[in-house]
Amino acid sequence: MAGIVCRTASRIISSQASCSSVVAVRHSHWFTSMLSLKTSVPLRAEPKKRKKVDPRRELMVKERLKKKLKKLEKVPPEMIPIEDFIKSAKGFDETRVREAPDLCFEESERRALLLKEWSRFKRSQHQTEMHEIQEALEAQRQALEELKLESEELYKAAVSPDTDIFPFQHDGPCYTPPLTNYEAPEGKYNDITRVYTQ
Amino acid sequence: MAAPFTRVYRPFWRIITTTKSNRGVRNVSYTSQQWSAQNVKTAGAASPWALHGAVCVQRLPVVTQDRSPIEEEFMELMQKMEFERSLLADHELKLLDDAALMSRKQEGDYDSDEEDDYRDKDIVTAQDLEDIWEQKLKDFQPALRSQGNDQKDASSSERCLADSLILLVKKDVGSQKLWLLPQIQWQMGETLRQTAERALASLPGADLKATFLGNAPCGFYKYKYPKDIQKEGSVGAKVFFFKAVLSSHKHLPLEKNSFAWVKKDELQDFLKPEYLKQVRRFIMAL
Repeated sequence: MAGIVCRTASRIISSQASCSSVVAVRHSHWFTSMLSLKTSVPLRAEPKKRKKVDPRRELMVKERLKKKLKKLEKVPPEMIPIEDFIKSAKGFDETRVREAPDLCFEESERRALLLKEWSRFKRSQHQTEMHEIQEALEAQRQALEELKLESEELYKAAVSPDTDIFPFQHDGPCYTPPLTNYEAPEGKYNDITRVYTQ
Repeated sequence: MAAPFTRVYRPFWRIITTTKSNRGVRNVSYTSQQWSAQNVKTAGAASPWALHGAVCVQRLPVVTQDRSPIEEEFMELMQKMEFERSLLADHELKLLDDAALMSRKQEGDYDSDEEDDYRDKDIVTAQDLEDIWEQKLKDFQPALRSQGNDQKDASSSERCLADSLILLVKKDVGSQKLWLLPQIQWQMGETLRQTAERALASLPGADLKATFLGNAPCGFYKYKYPKDIQKEGSVGAKVFFFKAVLSSHKHLPLEKNSFAWVKKDELQDFLKPEYLKQVRRFIMAL
């Protein structure tokens, strides 16, 4: 019986092929039922469960529409501007240009020679630093070797990582030493940093 | 066999054993005669070396170092070049505008209504602001960079504020009093780092708090006991040094004769040459 219905459906639909929107034109109530039959062909295996098919199909259609809407609405978040990269207008202000100085030949020579002297100085400073660091590392390595010769457990204890040292904090040197019993004057400030939220 | 022995003839087996013992022997007032009687025991369940833990406490610099002449010159040059390549700041613009306004006011046909930005703000000019700021700076008295007691008092920890200082103690070793880094004998059941912490805590009359930098020793020094003290089991001692950074800065005066805070270049006045050679390696005074 299903096969007969199929053949009739195909004949009728081929005759109705000129119709653009089959759903909108209802020549008879049979057409909608044919349609439903045609789309429900793969579901022919479950003739008894047809009642659940319709609500499920509607739900699926709704979900697909919702997903399409979400994709369209998904705008990428606006990038937070990096303040350092924005060239401020003050940099292009022509009233602020300082007049370029006239350097005599001796002055430019002196500057060039001083720059070279400085590079030599920094190089020797770097070499001494590297040498001292190498010496200290070598001393530590030899100390650990000696300790290993002494006793294995002490060596293992020495090589194990120290968890208490971090976070390590130390205030570096300033220009003048700290004053004893100094009370810093109280003051208020307006914090004008810009905070961006995405 | 490059040891500087005065005696030429020695039995063959003694030559082999003494070449092994040449490494790391402290050259205190012992003569070379004692070396012929030493037997280095390589085998044995208990090691013949007594272990000591020592601590190298550093008071890090409090004040920046003075610049060397080339650094001064270069700093001046950099500041000049930066100034030449820069644009005028807001404050400088204001100074120029105020100067122009003053010059306009001096003229005879000055009409204040023609000014664009004439507001009550003009009462305080940029020059006045500069004067106010300079006055405030003069009112503040900072502490002196160098206290002036650099050379005299070696036991004060407020000495050379621009360098890092190491703590030395005077200790009885055998029959002599020597300047050493604080050390103490290792006990069973503790790690060497705990020995070093104990060495720091057991210093008489000094309440020093230090942060130890890691579990591993930074250097070692080994020396042999003199012949008369040497027994069957002990040949000498190995000292392992641990680095620590002084955290609490209490200015408690320490005994002058037993404590000293010294810079790296002053170490040679205090320590013995062999000991100094090992200690210099891990002390960095950059």
